[in-house]
Amino acid sequence: MTDALKLTGVTKDFGSVRAVDGIDLSIAPGETVALLGPNGAGKSTTINMLLGLIEPTAGTVEVFGTNPHKAVRAGRIGAMLQDAGFVPNATVRELVELARAIYPKPLPTGQILQTADLTDIAGRRLDKLSGGQAQRARFAFALAGNPDLLVLDEPTSAMDVASRQAFWATMRSYAEGGRTVLFATHYLAEADDFADRVIVVSGGRIIADGTGADIKKAVSGRTVSFDLEGAGTVGLDRLPGVTAVDIRGDRALLRCDDSDATVRALVTSGRAFGNLEVAGAGLEEAFLALTSATSEV
Amino acid sequence: MLAYLKFELRRMYREPRLIILTVAMPVILFLALGGSIKGDTPEKTKEILAYLMVAWAAYGALLGTFSSGVGVSHERSAGWLRQLRITPLPPATVVITKAIACSLVAIPAVLVVSVIGMARNVDFSVGQLALLVLLMWLGSVPFALVGLAVGFVLPPNLAQPASFLVSFGLAFAGGIFIQSDDMPKTMQQIVEWSPSYRFTQAGYAVLQHDTQSGTGWAIIAGWALVFAALAALAYRRSAAAK
Repeated sequence: MTDALKLTGVTKDFGSVRAVDGIDLSIAPGETVALLGPNGAGKSTTINMLLGLIEPTAGTVEVFGTNPHKAVRAGRIGAMLQDAGFVPNATVRELVELARAIYPKPLPTGQILQTADLTDIAGRRLDKLSGGQAQRARFAFALAGNPDLLVLDEPTSAMDVASRQAFWATMRSYAEGGRTVLFATHYLAEADDFADRVIVVSGGRIIADGTGADIKKAVSGRTVSFDLEGAGTVGLDRLPGVTAVDIRGDRALLRCDDSDATVRALVTSGRAFGNLEVAGAGLEEAFLALTSATSEV
Repeated sequence: MLAYLKFELRRMYREPRLIILTVAMPVILFLALGGSIKGDTPEKTKEILAYLMVAWAAYGALLGTFSSGVGVSHERSAGWLRQLRITPLPPATVVITKAIACSLVAIPAVLVVSVIGMARNVDFSVGQLALLVLLMWLGSVPFALVGLAVGFVLPPNLAQPASFLVSFGLAFAGGIFIQSDDMPKTMQQIVEWSPSYRFTQAGYAVLQHDTQSGTGWAIIAGWALVFAALAALAYRRSAAAK
């Protein structure tokens, strides 16, 4: 079966900055995939390349076995971009009608409005929409053409919690129709909840690729840190649950996959310690952990 | 393409201020200056007034089509062109549709100025009026296209001064401020190659029960092609980049 999306050795330089640094990736039709990474990881650049908005410096991008321009022209891609805006003096319904006229096999207007939860504000002018409503209108424009591949760049960025949840519920029902969905996000929870597969990008490279559970496990570790108080560092790496030891001055930072066991052993060992702290890994730290993990392999 | 044109026309209809300004400019010129025009004979006066009527109508049409073309600058900075770019709508269709929509702005200006002209005893029939409107609409297509090219390339804050420069240049070349007969010889030879000169001439020819030479229309068409190519190139370059 032809991949919905296939990136081979894709690199993108902006001047001397390498935004995307050798990405290889295949996505099968029907998959819901999250592109997870901090800001500046290269998510948007990757998305812009697979939409044909920018050309890769090196490597190839294929969408349904053809180049992105042809796939876009054939109406197989619908996309919701982060910075795409609308023009004034047109209504939500007119926008949807326009999208329907542009794509070869659109969804019915009523269904589009309903899916994007816009039925009640179909007559409203685009320039009078709130942030969340505009985001939904963007979603409606992206899905109106009933595309085989739906690309969403940070789709929930302007939404509050309630509309965020409503949005993902809608998304899920759309994806269940067998469409391929790729979305970029920097929320691990969002990626975990709504994607079958999570691809973590950092520094323009893929540093992890697996199910949400895989990724969560990889980032679920904690850091136990304390002042050494002259007790030396011997044996720290042999404490139970410790995966890595980092000494910064007089302070030890232990990466742990079972911090409870580590702390228990630390206390019973009788060694001196002060200012004990147990911290969960933030997403950024998790990304760093994943990066170093891959570079060690 | 028709759906996009319909979408654009409806938006234009809801924002009539540009059209009102486009009409107001030549009307004010006409009302303020038209009354004080006196030739050596009444015949001569009519002749001058007829020329000025066409020149002012042309000015309104030129300014209106050009500046609505430049307006795409806002669509670009809003990210709308980027959005269109990732739909199956081909770039050429976007440029052509916008050009058609923008060129239509010429019609009200020409129509209103001509009707005032008629009321002021400029000598022409309803048939000539219709022909004048038709030709000045077609003739303003290059201005819409060059406006689009400027709008696709420049951000709104730069598009404004740039458009002033371009529209002033076009109006000057068109003999709208100074009749081209009064220009120095070399200047005359240069402006004869401009689309705006041929544009006013096309209008003036209608009043003289004449048709503009094939050369005139060929020059207008040539500029339309050049500006269309520029606009298409500018769109391709700019819509992707934002």
